[in-house]
Amino acid sequence: MSSVPDLTGAVTCASIWKSFGEGEAKVDVLRGVNFMAALGEMTFLVGPSGCGKTTLISIIAGLLAPDSGTVSLFGERLSLLAPRERILFRRQYLGFVFQQYNLLPAFTAAENVAVPLVAAGWGRENAIGKAREVLTHLGLAHRTELVPQLLSGGQQQRVALARALVHEPRLIICDEPTAALDHRSGESVMERLATSAIHPDRAVIVVTHDSRVFHFAHRIIEMEDGLIRSSKKIESLNQP
Amino acid sequence: MISMAFTMLSHDGPKFLAMVLAIAMAAFLTQNQASFLVSFLAMSDSQIRDVREADLWVMDSSTECFDQAKPLKDTAAEIVRGFPGVKWALTLLKVDAPARTEAGKLSSVTILGVPEQSKVGEPRMNIGDSSVLDERDSAVIDPGGMALLYPGETFRPGMRIRIHDKWLQIKGVSNASPPFTGFPIIHVSHSTAIQLNRAESRCTTFVVGRFEADADRGKVTREIRAATGWKALTREEFEEASSRFYMDQGVPHLFYITITVGLIVGAAFSGQTFLMFVKENARAFTTLKVLGFTHGQLAVMVATMAGIVVVLGLALGTMLAVGTSFSAATMPFFRSLYLPWQVTLLCCISIGLITLITAGFAFKKVLNLEPADVFRS
Repeated sequence: MSSVPDLTGAVTCASIWKSFGEGEAKVDVLRGVNFMAALGEMTFLVGPSGCGKTTLISIIAGLLAPDSGTVSLFGERLSLLAPRERILFRRQYLGFVFQQYNLLPAFTAAENVAVPLVAAGWGRENAIGKAREVLTHLGLAHRTELVPQLLSGGQQQRVALARALVHEPRLIICDEPTAALDHRSGESVMERLATSAIHPDRAVIVVTHDSRVFHFAHRIIEMEDGLIRSSKKIESLNQP
Repeated sequence: MISMAFTMLSHDGPKFLAMVLAIAMAAFLTQNQASFLVSFLAMSDSQIRDVREADLWVMDSSTECFDQAKPLKDTAAEIVRGFPGVKWALTLLKVDAPARTEAGKLSSVTILGVPEQSKVGEPRMNIGDSSVLDERDSAVIDPGGMALLYPGETFRPGMRIRIHDKWLQIKGVSNASPPFTGFPIIHVSHSTAIQLNRAESRCTTFVVGRFEADADRGKVTREIRAATGWKALTREEFEEASSRFYMDQGVPHLFYITITVGLIVGAAFSGQTFLMFVKENARAFTTLKVLGFTHGQLAVMVATMAGIVVVLGLALGTMLAVGTSFSAATMPFFRSLYLPWQVTLLCCISIGLITLITAGFAFKKVLNLEPADVFRS
């Protein structure tokens, strides 16, 4: 892996095409998408279901390969990385927040948050210690030893957020982070996300349907039918 | 990583327990049945081993094992003594007869006559002294016989047993090895055994002897065979022939079937449950993949999970097998039951290999998980 140049355009996608199925069943999910997310910004990717948002973030995360087009993260072309290098790149530079939290049910909150550190080779005790610090920062100091089943939805999403932040990644991808939460919990999670994740050296991409949290966005990119319809820079006072 | 694997595994308590118990069942059944098989086969030649002084056995050519022997003519011992390389040879009389106690307990028994002068085949004793065989109408009985004919009774010298129409006094308890047939072993003097031999007119079941120290054993036995038409075997050859006789009866096949079924059912059930466990935890594994776990790390996790299940299962199954073995060995008829370490080793290797293959399939499932599915709700 080459050294990562410090570019303002943290994520750059150029002419991304992606289809699923073959023959008559073939569906072009992305049709030449150009996308950019900048450092220090929270970029919202919005659009109706089936417009290709999830496919696009999967490609950005290196979980899916595009049929054509290029994806660069911090100047690194993902397609040029070997599969193992792509895993290591993702482990180091990316954090994820999922709609259904995807916490491991067997693990406590602290153990869940420690997972990316354990993957990176940290010792268990150090990893758990660091995880507790991040959880404390997110207001969950009293919940570190509970398993997800004993946490509320909002608390689970904050644990997931802590897991996305614990290894200090440069890109955080959030997939519908508030979809499973009531408005108050969603607002709270977004506030934590805005406070903790936005950093001059980090980009945040949020896929969402939830227009009630749009005021947290620096930029809103709207997708429709596999294409970017609009990209709007938001000058909002609500942003932290 | 190891503690993560253990936490994930033990979180699903019922499945974890089912997998461990299935392996334990396979390990127990395999070792227990193999132990019985080995012990029974050891019983098939136990009476030959008990005649410690003899290394030459001569018998009728149709005799295949110790328990089913056709008598020789009564001059056989003299004839065998005449062959070069034979140090000594004498008659061993084995009589199978029905016996009855004063309390009315009935059983077939195996009577062995111990020659008065040489004492060849004299039993080791648990209670009393074998010199009692010199006394008129005396006998010693083995522990299996005590348990069968005198259930619940403690041995006391002078207990009586009737064989045919003759009453014998039991004056000691021998340490004779348990026979394959399970019949009580009664040792008497050779002359008493002749009196009890009603089924045959001949009183020489075997000729037992010893080779001269410098004798070519193969040559001696060949010469005896050629000159007499009898079967002449070294002790080792006769032990092997007796074992083979019982093996050829198909008895081991029952054990083989149980062992195979135990292995297949136990390992298959455990393997299936393990695969189900991996399938049900697909979302967790997918998340781990997305969060940056390499294939190597996931392999370590899956191998650790399989390893924990197999080690716990084998340990539990082996403890049960050892416990059963010890417990059964306290019973008179199973007193020679033992669990050879080779059986345990072989069982562990077999179950370990099956688990390794299952873990391989489970890991393949994990590898095939599509990371992008993590975004699907």
